[in-house]
Amino acid sequence: MNNRMWHQLTRAAIGVGLQVAFLSGAWAYEAIDVKDGGTISGEVKFSGNPPTPEKIATTKDQEVCGKTEKVNESLLVGANKGIQNVVVSISNIQKGKKMPETGATLDQKDCRYDPHIVLSPAGADLTIVNSDGILHNIHTYSTKNPAFNKAQPKFKKEMKESFAQPETVKLTCDAHGWMAGWLIVQDNPYFVLTDAKGVFKIIDVPPGDYELKLWHETLGETTQKVSVKAKEEAKVSVEMTKK
Amino acid sequence: MARREIDDEKRSYSGVFLLAVGLLLVGSVWAVWDDYVSRRPWKKYQASFYSLAYDKARNELMQEDQRLQADPAYQEAQAKLTAAQKEFSDGTTGKRLADLKQKLATAEIRTGDAETALRVVKSEIDAAWYEYEHAQMFGHPTQEAKLTLDTLTAEANELDARFRTAQAERDKTAREVEELQLESKQWEDKIKELTVARERIKQRLDTYVLLSFNGFAIPKIPTIQQIVLNEFDRGNFDTPVARVDRCQSCHVGIDRSGFEDQPNPYKTHPHREILLATHPPEKFGCTPCHEGQGAATSSVEKAHGEVEFWEHPLRRGAKVEANCIKCHADVQDLPLTQQIAQGEGLFVQLGCHGCHVVEGYGELPKIGPYLRRVAAKDDPSWMVRWVTNPHEFRPNTRMPNFLFKEAEGTAITAYLLDASKQAGEAWLQAHPEPEGIDPGDTALVERGKTLVNSLGCRGCHGFSPEQKATVIGQSQKDFAPNLAQIAEKTSARWVYYWIKNPRDFSPTTAMPSLRLSDEEARAITSYLMTLGEKAEKPEVVARLSDPEVIARGKGLVRKYGCYGCHNIPGMENEARIGVELTAFGSKTLEELFFGNHTDIPFTWDDWTYNKLKEPRTYATERIEQLMPKFDFADEDIKAVRVFLTSRTEQRIPNKYLAAPGTRTQNIVNGQRLVQYYNCVGCHIVEGKGGYIRALYTDNPTFAPPILTGEGAKVQPDWFYGFLKKPGPLRPWLQLRMPTFGFSDEEARTAVDYFTALAKLAVPYVYVDRSRIPPEHIASGKKLMSGDYFACFSCHQQGDTKPEGPPAGWAPDLTMAKHRLNPEWIIRWIHDPQKLMPGTKMPSFYPGGPDDVLEGNEDRQIEAIRDYLMVLGEPEEHLATVQATAHETPSTTTN
Repeated sequence: MNNRMWHQLTRAAIGVGLQVAFLSGAWAYEAIDVKDGGTISGEVKFSGNPPTPEKIATTKDQEVCGKTEKVNESLLVGANKGIQNVVVSISNIQKGKKMPETGATLDQKDCRYDPHIVLSPAGADLTIVNSDGILHNIHTYSTKNPAFNKAQPKFKKEMKESFAQPETVKLTCDAHGWMAGWLIVQDNPYFVLTDAKGVFKIIDVPPGDYELKLWHETLGETTQKVSVKAKEEAKVSVEMTKK
Repeated sequence: MARREIDDEKRSYSGVFLLAVGLLLVGSVWAVWDDYVSRRPWKKYQASFYSLAYDKARNELMQEDQRLQADPAYQEAQAKLTAAQKEFSDGTTGKRLADLKQKLATAEIRTGDAETALRVVKSEIDAAWYEYEHAQMFGHPTQEAKLTLDTLTAEANELDARFRTAQAERDKTAREVEELQLESKQWEDKIKELTVARERIKQRLDTYVLLSFNGFAIPKIPTIQQIVLNEFDRGNFDTPVARVDRCQSCHVGIDRSGFEDQPNPYKTHPHREILLATHPPEKFGCTPCHEGQGAATSSVEKAHGEVEFWEHPLRRGAKVEANCIKCHADVQDLPLTQQIAQGEGLFVQLGCHGCHVVEGYGELPKIGPYLRRVAAKDDPSWMVRWVTNPHEFRPNTRMPNFLFKEAEGTAITAYLLDASKQAGEAWLQAHPEPEGIDPGDTALVERGKTLVNSLGCRGCHGFSPEQKATVIGQSQKDFAPNLAQIAEKTSARWVYYWIKNPRDFSPTTAMPSLRLSDEEARAITSYLMTLGEKAEKPEVVARLSDPEVIARGKGLVRKYGCYGCHNIPGMENEARIGVELTAFGSKTLEELFFGNHTDIPFTWDDWTYNKLKEPRTYATERIEQLMPKFDFADEDIKAVRVFLTSRTEQRIPNKYLAAPGTRTQNIVNGQRLVQYYNCVGCHIVEGKGGYIRALYTDNPTFAPPILTGEGAKVQPDWFYGFLKKPGPLRPWLQLRMPTFGFSDEEARTAVDYFTALAKLAVPYVYVDRSRIPPEHIASGKKLMSGDYFACFSCHQQGDTKPEGPPAGWAPDLTMAKHRLNPEWIIRWIHDPQKLMPGTKMPSFYPGGPDDVLEGNEDRQIEAIRDYLMVLGEPEEHLATVQATAHETPSTTTN
């Protein structure tokens, strides 16, 4: 067998491999009708002594920003040690319920991002609102999506942006140094935030074995295996702590 | 008398003749074969290339045909065309067409006949006119001539009418034919459009063969492909000699695309779209870059010059870049010249020019510290340790290892301390022991450490063995010393005054002043004094004052040429000790001394590699070698070797040199300045450097500004002044742009460099304020106000500071009119992220308000720019500007 034939053969093999990979849907999420979906629910708790969040001194635009008291939201632990704002997601799901049709909204209100962490389905519009009526700017620290830094002056109440690639993006406002938020872009609809008690619930999950990813901006990431049965609720309990 | 028969005549010589004829024939055949075949191996390569290219193109053609067959549009066009044509060949349409064509032919003939007849009559009229006028002139009777003329004119009119009728008839029929064929014509055009690619392949295919028909092809007859470069070389008597390159006789595909994946000699030239586009082979040939024996065609080895006695063999591997520098002085700025650029950079930055003369690298500054006052600086015990083996103290120092014995190190130290004693003492007297330095005060030390980490020291210096700042080459030589053990080397007193004003101690140092306050200097000195500790060796120190030792040291300093890198008292008039390397690349093997080595292959490459790796390897008992050891990484040796390869006697004629203009010179000078002062420790310049940015990966906003495009951004006057006397521009940075103490010449070199990089013909800025439209001032002011873009929410405006801590502030906009190029401001407001990725400045456009300047965003941006050009001036002054403004709306210009 001469070189050229080898060359052609390897090329052909790679081609076939790529096609197989494509057809099997290794990279694409497929929307199906979920009838007997199960639920994953649970809570995320802080182990150890939870720190008290520090207060933020608003140093600028007092008449708007100084109206409410603000705390550093990078780690909020509730009364029963439940951790708020943990992003709980299924990372390895191939098929499931449809991606939501309406996108998420991020408001800049009282010089704070509301919500602190915004969950945006990949490709959907993210509506960015400026309720404050002063100059804010959204500065994204993206690597997979194009990074931008757009001003939202007083006269511009609303902007629409869309993010195609799944990514965890830090958000800041350069005009107000304390403002910090996160944007989570995911290419499947199974991602939720824990509430103030650290509780979460993911519904309409097709039966199967999954890996649950729990990410917190300060405490990092952890994963948990979970098995979902039709119409049943799978309970998960996770502890996270400072590393 | 009967003829006497001679015996020989009776003998038949036919056998001998046959043999002779046979030999002659064989000889002739051999001669022809030898001349046309065996000595012309290129024919085989050329023929194989064309057959390969032909096969490839035919394959493409087949694929294209298949594609066309599968293309529904093509199929449709083809089917429609065939149908239309079929209709023409039979059926009523066919009959009609045939009739029309017949009619058209008849009409053509009729028109033609009429036209000919008309012409004949017209010429007869001319003749008749002549007769008539002639008769008139000479008074002859004109009646007959007049009659003829009238008859002919009447005839012409009649013929003209006939001609016109015939013509109209013909045109009408032609139109009818055309109309009938319109559809088929349309499909023909469509097919032509769809088969453009196929035609192109077909045309290409035809260039690979002499003749081709129906898939059969007669191959091309290989011919020599040669390029003559007139007056490229100089002969033995310095007369111009042409250079002849026949490389493309074998390398046929070198300037054709599509053969990138073929092996040599059929391959397309790598980076053809850049390299051959800028160096067309018909103008530059091949050997000016690749070397080899361009005219040789009788064997591959000979053509490549890889035979005995040919002094310029083919440049293989990275060495192919060596000649780039012969025509391009600015290799540091070019794509595809990494190796030669790296080699040249290493040569300059490791101070090779300190010992070796190389034309073009003679006037570079000495790279080592200034030793005229070293007695006031270094700890004697440390200095002995350092001189004896610097790599043992700092493995990545730029100082090479001279492999001294301790006695030699002691002698050299003794001389250096003795020679600098007076100046050192004078300096110490003028700089009394500072107070308030305490390495035991943890708060102070911590403050010093914070300052060191935030002011920008780490762009150049590391403060622990594993901390890396700016490094040179793959050998990772530290640009500036790693200060992990600085307390062993020197004293708190020296450090304190040094960091406050380095040029006070050493007038040529690259170390800048960070404009430290006394308090800051005390804190940093205290911190530095916690790094390492003194290791005194009294028995060594005792020997340093021995006059004999001092004298020996002086001899060693002279012998090893320490003054090549250092400014040393008593050594001002010494010449460089190394071999001149100006033409090192031209050295023949006979000129290279291999010592006792038999294990090193006998080539220039191997000699040079081993010399750089183990500089004293060729020393023998009788022949001493002095070159110190640099501990180069292999990649660096290879890069330096590429640079040395380029040092040949060959002078390239001017017409081949790349833009030998001031712009190139400004770039080269600027790059050397940037290298010497290590601007790239903090700033990214030309996409390179910015070492300190590693500390700011989390928040690049706090890193030093990127200087790519700086020439187009700032005004040269301002830039010049800023370089001479830098001050804080960006209130949010803790880093300080240091004061380097640039001379006028150096500051100008830097400004010219950035201007050259920005390719600005006129860098100066003049704003004609009378041409600023008044409404721009008003609109600009409005747009920048709190109701719109709220620029002063972050930007300073003269003494008016924004709210909040300085970390959130942005530059003073009243500086813009003196600092920024007005054209740049426009581009900046359009898209700040594009010019400086990661900047805190958000984009306001697209998305300007609708109620200012009719929502015209370009005008809004101009208005902001125009307002910035007058911002900070008193209101009444502004009013006069507006009063004198012209009616015509126009923008400012630079």
